Amino acid sequence: MKRKKVGLLTCMKAENMKLKRSFIWIAFFIIPIIPALMGTGNYLQNIDILQSEWFSLWTQNTLFYSNFFYAPLIAVYCAYTWRVENFNHNRNSLMTAPVPAGCIFLAKLLNIFWVTLLTQAWVWVLYVLCGKAAGLPGLPDTVIFYWLVRGAWGGMGVATLLLVISMAVRSFAVPVAFGLVGGITGLLATNSAYGMYYPFSLMMMGMNSNKYEDMLGGEGLQFMVFSTLYIVLFCLCGVKWLAVRDVKA
Amino acid sequence: MEYTGRGVLGCVSEGRIRMTTAIETEQLCKSYGKHMCVKNVDLKVPEGSIYGFLGPNGAGKSTTMKMILGLVWATRGQVSVFGEEMNRKNRLEILKETGSLIESPSYYGHLTGRENLEIVRMLKGADKKEVDEALKTVRMEKQQNKKAGDYSLGMKQRLGLAAALLGKPKLLLLDEPTNGLDPAGIQEMRELVRSLPERYGMTVMVSSHLLSEIDQMATHTGIIHKGELIFQDSMEHLHEHSRKRILLRTDQNAAALRILEEQGCRGKMAEDRISLPDMEDEKVAFCIAALVRQKVGIIRVEEYQRNLEDIFLSLTGKQVSL
Repeated sequence: MKRKKVGLLTCMKAENMKLKRSFIWIAFFIIPIIPALMGTGNYLQNIDILQSEWFSLWTQNTLFYSNFFYAPLIAVYCAYTWRVENFNHNRNSLMTAPVPAGCIFLAKLLNIFWVTLLTQAWVWVLYVLCGKAAGLPGLPDTVIFYWLVRGAWGGMGVATLLLVISMAVRSFAVPVAFGLVGGITGLLATNSAYGMYYPFSLMMMGMNSNKYEDMLGGEGLQFMVFSTLYIVLFCLCGVKWLAVRDVKA
Repeated sequence: MEYTGRGVLGCVSEGRIRMTTAIETEQLCKSYGKHMCVKNVDLKVPEGSIYGFLGPNGAGKSTTMKMILGLVWATRGQVSVFGEEMNRKNRLEILKETGSLIESPSYYGHLTGRENLEIVRMLKGADKKEVDEALKTVRMEKQQNKKAGDYSLGMKQRLGLAAALLGKPKLLLLDEPTNGLDPAGIQEMRELVRSLPERYGMTVMVSSHLLSEIDQMATHTGIIHKGELIFQDSMEHLHEHSRKRILLRTDQNAAALRILEEQGCRGKMAEDRISLPDMEDEKVAFCIAALVRQKVGIIRVEEYQRNLEDIFLSLTGKQVSL
């Protein structure tokens, strides 16, 4: 019997299929609307002191989005990814597929990455719509889009950690709670000297959350190194866990 | 009674299985904490057979099957599939030749039956047309576009079987595939399983706590109880042990036993009766006449045939589920 070789791409396609008709799309659309409305409201209330137009609106939108919604939203994606496997003994089926544990874990992570990128694009759309509704002229600076993409990469360390937690804990609430607590502690760490060493802060620093000027400044490389380091580290933990632990379906 | 305990049935009579083995386990053990749920199990599943893995609930069937698939790692012992030892290195190679339905059917409730099969097909690297073939085999063409979450249990089981068939594996492990099915569903599943070795050249290992199921489906069987394999052989051989006996009760059993032996009819004591092998009516009459001549009082002569339930009961010491 000749079979096609099953690699990461095929696993990603399979993972992608599981997102069909998934409730994460409701979270994807609804949740970013909340901080966008809150931020815009805040901007309009303080328009006298917020003079930098699009950049001022950015500080207000990200104030809510990055600190309270971004990490929990990623947590929802991660928790959902494993939730579908926890139901109906699907872990048995997944783990008896002739596919390396690394491919299974990475496929889930990469799927979360592209959903996160889509989320960031949706956040940008909402930001522009809110800006237009608030009467801002023209379009925002392209650097905002760069910050969103950079924030997605910063968020991947968090996503990888939350994916490992979702896989091991088998609960939907626990990773989401982690995301919420992580977001708040991330805010504290961002404002300290240790922001670069904390995954939840990297996510906010990447987004240039609540700042006009690029808070990474000359530390862009350091940001990339630490973000990538956390992704690799948590990935190794996740793959090892998946490969050696007994499957409980 | 003659058929009490493992000794008479020979526990595992290795010599009888001469075919190539699809699955072989050696002193397989699994413990969770201090509890040993699988103890030194030596399975031998002949290639091309339907191996019924029989045991009461909680006997260790699912754990053993999970160890064969590498879902659970053995505490001790080893598993070989088609001669290859199952380990972390070659597990994937073995899984390529294996289909399974463990514990209960796996499905993503928010996806259609077809989408569920597509996912399994992709992960097994099977050809696209196999989805249609599998749907046809389990007769689910008409329900393929319904959400799996809305399926009846019978349909979910069939979907699980279709998923296991994808990639045309050489070995199929089905854990209680008839669980929760109605009588018509059970019969349909049974017929499907029975057709697989001939149709696809597969070896099927199917577990059940229902002896009648295994009796109607399997060519070979292994009985597991409290984690120990207490019997393993062909169904044919198991049936041999349910052959007829003649039970005789007299007022002088010891003397009767001696007289019968002198007549060339060797029996043995079974509680308050003499148990004799099955014989022709004329021979029975001859034996009785010989006893009467020697003034042995005949109290009762009866024909006794143990059914498979009795054998199962004597092996497991438990009431069989029916």
